[in-house]
Amino acid sequence: MGDLNAEKRARGVGNLDDARNPYDYFEREYGTVPPDDKRAPFRWVSEVAYKNVHRIVARGYDTTELMEEGYGVVDTLFVDFQARIPLVEETRMLNYLMILALEDGLSMPAAISRLVARSKTFLTQACGASILAFGHAYGAYSSFGNRMEKYLKKVDQDGIPMEEAAALLVKENLQDESLGVSELMTKDPAAQRVLARAEKLGVAGKHIEFMQHVVAAAQAQSTSPIDLDMLGAIGATMLDLGFSPEATWAIMAVTRAYAAGAHYIEEVEREETTRLGQELTPPEMYDGPAECPVPPLQDRPPASEAAVCRTPDEWKERFEKMKQLPGSGFTLIEEIEDPSKKSGIKKVGKL
Amino acid sequence: MDREPALERKTAISYKTEEKTVMRGYSLSDLAEEGYSFCDALFVLFQGRIPTENEEKMLDYEMGVFMEHSMSPSAVGAIGVITGRPNLPCAVAAAITTFGGVHGPGAAHGYMMNKYLERARVEGKTVDEMAKTLVDEYMDAGRPVMGMGQPQHIDSDPRAEPIHLKQEELGLQGVYLEFQRAVEKYFHARREAEGRSYVGVNVVGSGNTALMEIGFSPNAGWCIGSVTRGFSCAAHALFNMKKGRAWGASRNEPMVQMIDLSMIKYVGPEDRMVPKQEERQEYATKQKESGEYKQWVI
Repeated sequence: MGDLNAEKRARGVGNLDDARNPYDYFEREYGTVPPDDKRAPFRWVSEVAYKNVHRIVARGYDTTELMEEGYGVVDTLFVDFQARIPLVEETRMLNYLMILALEDGLSMPAAISRLVARSKTFLTQACGASILAFGHAYGAYSSFGNRMEKYLKKVDQDGIPMEEAAALLVKENLQDESLGVSELMTKDPAAQRVLARAEKLGVAGKHIEFMQHVVAAAQAQSTSPIDLDMLGAIGATMLDLGFSPEATWAIMAVTRAYAAGAHYIEEVEREETTRLGQELTPPEMYDGPAECPVPPLQDRPPASEAAVCRTPDEWKERFEKMKQLPGSGFTLIEEIEDPSKKSGIKKVGKL
Repeated sequence: MDREPALERKTAISYKTEEKTVMRGYSLSDLAEEGYSFCDALFVLFQGRIPTENEEKMLDYEMGVFMEHSMSPSAVGAIGVITGRPNLPCAVAAAITTFGGVHGPGAAHGYMMNKYLERARVEGKTVDEMAKTLVDEYMDAGRPVMGMGQPQHIDSDPRAEPIHLKQEELGLQGVYLEFQRAVEKYFHARREAEGRSYVGVNVVGSGNTALMEIGFSPNAGWCIGSVTRGFSCAAHALFNMKKGRAWGASRNEPMVQMIDLSMIKYVGPEDRMVPKQEERQEYATKQKESGEYKQWVI
């Protein structure tokens, strides 16, 4: 490849010979990297499961043997996520929660599934897409759980009374979508029944106790009627069952995907498909810049009208101006963190 | 707060009010309170009925045995996605969408069975006769018989035959199991007659047979299988998110990582010069006329 580099050096390639490049571009080698024999070869490392020709083993348990011994899919969730066989009561509780999480009417996961279905896709595309509805507002089990753990740490490590930690949590997060207390379930007893069932089965622990303090604190601080909602009930109970906030997030999202599959099927059975370009957006729905003629190419704006700002003041002025254009993204601030160690809270605010 | 549905639809699946959520006529909260299982609820969702005890056991067995499969396309998909550290649901969604025409093709198997069972009825053939017809038609055409063979479990899928046995133990054998068993019989016989190696039934062949037998449609069965796998793929993604290396290419790990540069083997066109714009038309014309590029078109 040396010849090719020499030929390119002679011809020049744009700015690639610029001295400000931290290398001599035309000395950079071609070709793939040879196998690395200095380190161990790549293997799919897993603590969760392995398989060979003859068997599949999750956390040490042969999965076929698990089923033959009378365990089921819900038990296997404990095996996969917690590496343990659950108590009978824990399995019952998780069954209970998954039934509640299974279906929620024409909610976002169902709607997404149905929209995907209209394009004549595989069912699995629609089910997968429905899971993407679970974020930090809808089905926000990760945000909810990590926040709960954060404030419970103040109880465990700093010795703050639970009531006080709950009040602080509410004070700092009353308007957050993932508080677990809202106006959503003031007339539906299902969320409260979750906690009662957990108590009855003997699986309620500190998370449910803390959640009850959070509900009380939120009700005291709120000016409108609010109560425990399904996120708070399922989220707190899952934590007491030993699932991490992220595991809860995934399990509940996947649980809903079964129903999303039913919505996919019904959409295909009862509705029409949608073709590219079929849907119209009437002008009454449009409130952007007024329609105007497209200038000839030679009348393209001059260089002086580029978006480049030379000073912070110029930058700020343009920034504020762009906020007037919905869809440009200038009104949003997001903090996207590496979730490797502590996952889940994506802060999204508006300027 | 706007509580309008995300989409306006007439639906026979469920409704939700401020007071309750009702699926196929049953309050979800009441279903849970009465002690029904999640598997029971799936019968309600897809079939609008409470299953028998053994039907529920069969579904639980099938889902449980199918949930975890270590490194298959679905888990690899989840792990690949999570290396970029998006939100966890992205990895799970990716895992479920790996299910297609080869990986866990439950719907395809189901439609195949229904098609041939209908032919048996219309053509006046027995289930056994039609199974032979299926095997012969598929193998004559050089098509793989759906539900047979697994690329990793080459001496027989550890989940497959036990599912058949469980179905029989639970007294749930019907026309689907009879048909699937017959397909396997003729498939094995033909391969043996042709001097070919043994290829066992896979988990789609047995698991989907069980799902169809207990009343699920091909797509409902596919949904149950592929979504169930989503649980374990979430665990694999989560393990990698919490204990693995982001990006999967670090050179500081003692083991070569998943997308380390040394893992790349390139077999495409040789390194070549990028033509200058003034050379472009002539270059592109020659390239197009030579047709050499066509061997690389995908």
